[in-house]
Amino acid sequence: MRRKKVTALFLAAVMTAGILTGCGDAAGQPVKDNGAGTQAQDDAGAQDKQEAAQKTDSGEKVNIKLFTGKIETIDVMNEIIDDFNKSQDRITVEQEYQKDASNIIKVKFASGEVPDIMTTYEQGFVDEGKYMDISDQSAWWDRMSPDMKAACTDVKTGKTYRVCTNMTMAGFFYNKEMFNELGIAEFPDQWDEFEAMLTKIKTEKPDVVPWFIFGSEAWHLGHLIEFIPHGYVKSELGTIEAKKAMLENRQEELKFGDSDGPMAVFATRMKALQDKGLINEDVLTATNDNCVQDFVSGKTAMFSNGMWAISSVLEASPEMADKIGFAPYPAYMPGSSPVVLSAEDSGYAISATTEHKEECIEFMNFLFLPENQQKYCEVAKAPSAFQDVTANWAPEAVADEVAAALENAVNIGYTNEKPAGFSGDDAGRMLQGLFAGQYTPEQFAQAYADAWNDGI
Amino acid sequence: MGKECDMKSRKIGLHQFMAVPAFALYAVFFIYPLIKGIGLCFTDWDGIKAAHFVGLKNFIDFFHDQRALSDIKTTVLFTLGSAPLLNIVGLLYALLMNSDFKGKSIARMCIYMPAIISPLIMGYIWYFLLQPGRGFLYYFFEGLGHPEWFGNWMGSYGSALLVIILVNVWQYAGMTMVIYLAGLQGISKELYEAATIDGARWIDSFLHVTMPLLGPSIRINVITNIIGSLSVFDIVMSLTGGGPGYQTETLSIYIMRMCYGSKTGYSVAVAIILFLIVLVPVAASSWLMRKKEED
Repeated sequence: MRRKKVTALFLAAVMTAGILTGCGDAAGQPVKDNGAGTQAQDDAGAQDKQEAAQKTDSGEKVNIKLFTGKIETIDVMNEIIDDFNKSQDRITVEQEYQKDASNIIKVKFASGEVPDIMTTYEQGFVDEGKYMDISDQSAWWDRMSPDMKAACTDVKTGKTYRVCTNMTMAGFFYNKEMFNELGIAEFPDQWDEFEAMLTKIKTEKPDVVPWFIFGSEAWHLGHLIEFIPHGYVKSELGTIEAKKAMLENRQEELKFGDSDGPMAVFATRMKALQDKGLINEDVLTATNDNCVQDFVSGKTAMFSNGMWAISSVLEASPEMADKIGFAPYPAYMPGSSPVVLSAEDSGYAISATTEHKEECIEFMNFLFLPENQQKYCEVAKAPSAFQDVTANWAPEAVADEVAAALENAVNIGYTNEKPAGFSGDDAGRMLQGLFAGQYTPEQFAQAYADAWNDGI
Repeated sequence: MGKECDMKSRKIGLHQFMAVPAFALYAVFFIYPLIKGIGLCFTDWDGIKAAHFVGLKNFIDFFHDQRALSDIKTTVLFTLGSAPLLNIVGLLYALLMNSDFKGKSIARMCIYMPAIISPLIMGYIWYFLLQPGRGFLYYFFEGLGHPEWFGNWMGSYGSALLVIILVNVWQYAGMTMVIYLAGLQGISKELYEAATIDGARWIDSFLHVTMPLLGPSIRINVITNIIGSLSVFDIVMSLTGGGPGYQTETLSIYIMRMCYGSKTGYSVAVAIILFLIVLVPVAASSWLMRKKEED
């Protein structure tokens, strides 16, 4: 009986230990408390760095973790990583993809499982010193276009914590063939003319949806706010001043809640389009896939999106390559100018607590080689931010359209300075509410301003 | 006698040892997060910066948060629709399955099958069935020559909530059925025979024999359905995403969005409020039913 009891005790202890082993972090250290443990993490990080330096000196192989949320570039990144891993025998890079990367990274920071390199970037983490300052990497910055370098620079500190290898643009994609049929020679640059054009499409082609909005996906509606009313603010204040105004929440300049401000006017314009049937009836339930299908089958004349949409359109119908037109967002506020997104894309930041700074830089040097970047651009369907990289990132006709749009409109960037508690998806859900009749334009503007202030 | 007692206590000791791994898991994945969560709900932790103690601020903010209050309304309305329907439909299914008819095992499989499919996938399947102008049901009505019978049921609050309730009932009624069926099969046939001899009709047998003896099954189903409905997440997420706007957003979705929206401390406070919201009807219904059984 006694032996049985001892055996049971032993088995129970082994099983418990086995189960609990999985609960520790990978490094075998206790899970760090992110709530109040920043100092403890820094100390632990310093110790880790010392140990890592010893490991590297002793010739031990170094593992680097690259964390990404970019599904479209997984394969090309694996190919580049594979080439890098084969090119030397000291460093092994491993890519981890997570669909919900911007949220998962928060969990990783909180649990102390921080990847060495990551494609996610958030102002809150910049403020907390979670990314390494890479301002001194002149070999990268000297190759980069000045606009993209400026876009990578943190407005608060003037330092750079990430390198963006690509640019992306967003505006209206339209069916050039259909526009030619209807005799629309130029895409309008003022909203009233734009609305008249949508009316013309509806009148002359009643089966065609003039503007397709896939509003079941909150990010898409969030992008409309990001590109149109935020675009107006950026075009009026200038990129840097707009960023500062947003960071400091200068509502007297942003005017989000004003009844004649950018949000209320935008909401009025959008509601008018809905009421006149100039956007799709199923705006609240339509998906991105529906949009692509309707565009390639000629059931819709245009949609708003970024360059990433090209690959799905061409995949659905390769013959669309010569038919895709691209145009900026028309000016919708009195006296304003049309805008087009021209922003940083594919950013890489290094963790401030990485044990392998030199190895991370070595890998990024390899990743940023012109031949690797050319491959990457062609898969990502985005032009390079490096001036010495040329790539066929889109069909020639589309690339020409994009170049013309960038020439003819104010180029705006992303709003990275949004309040941490008010995401683009949150903004998109508010626009859903407007389309569902939950708000009047004025109420929408006020609700937007309240949510913005609350999220600070 | 003494030896028997000694054997018994040794056996209990052995059982306690064997429970250690399960308890360890419970402690790590339930007790520890609970204690940690209670600590966090009094802080302003945003998941990034260091946490600061803010006392009861998160709880006070909750009762001034219009979106949160609207989410409570949606969650309660969903529960009021879903929990009773699940019990009624589950019981009807169980009564049907307890009777003799051909193809019973196939029918049972069809009823139970939705319960084993992920609610997220189930939500997407229904989304593609119900999508206005594009879904399978739209084409079905169009085939009948009446596309106008198909409305934009996910585009407005009332109809979207109704769709979510019905899909949830359709999915989980099979689970409720299994518990009722087990209860029904535990009732002795002799009791029904005795009731029939005494002149009882089917409805009398149901009300005076079946229902009282199904007491434990009813209690389990009522409690689990209230808990499940009040904490509903995935089916709403996949069908409407809480939309349009925030109209069909439930408290569980709100907690998730606040947690990842840099209001982690606040989201933990809301989670504790949700725990209390679940606790009240569960405790009340449990107490009421136990009291009725004792009477």
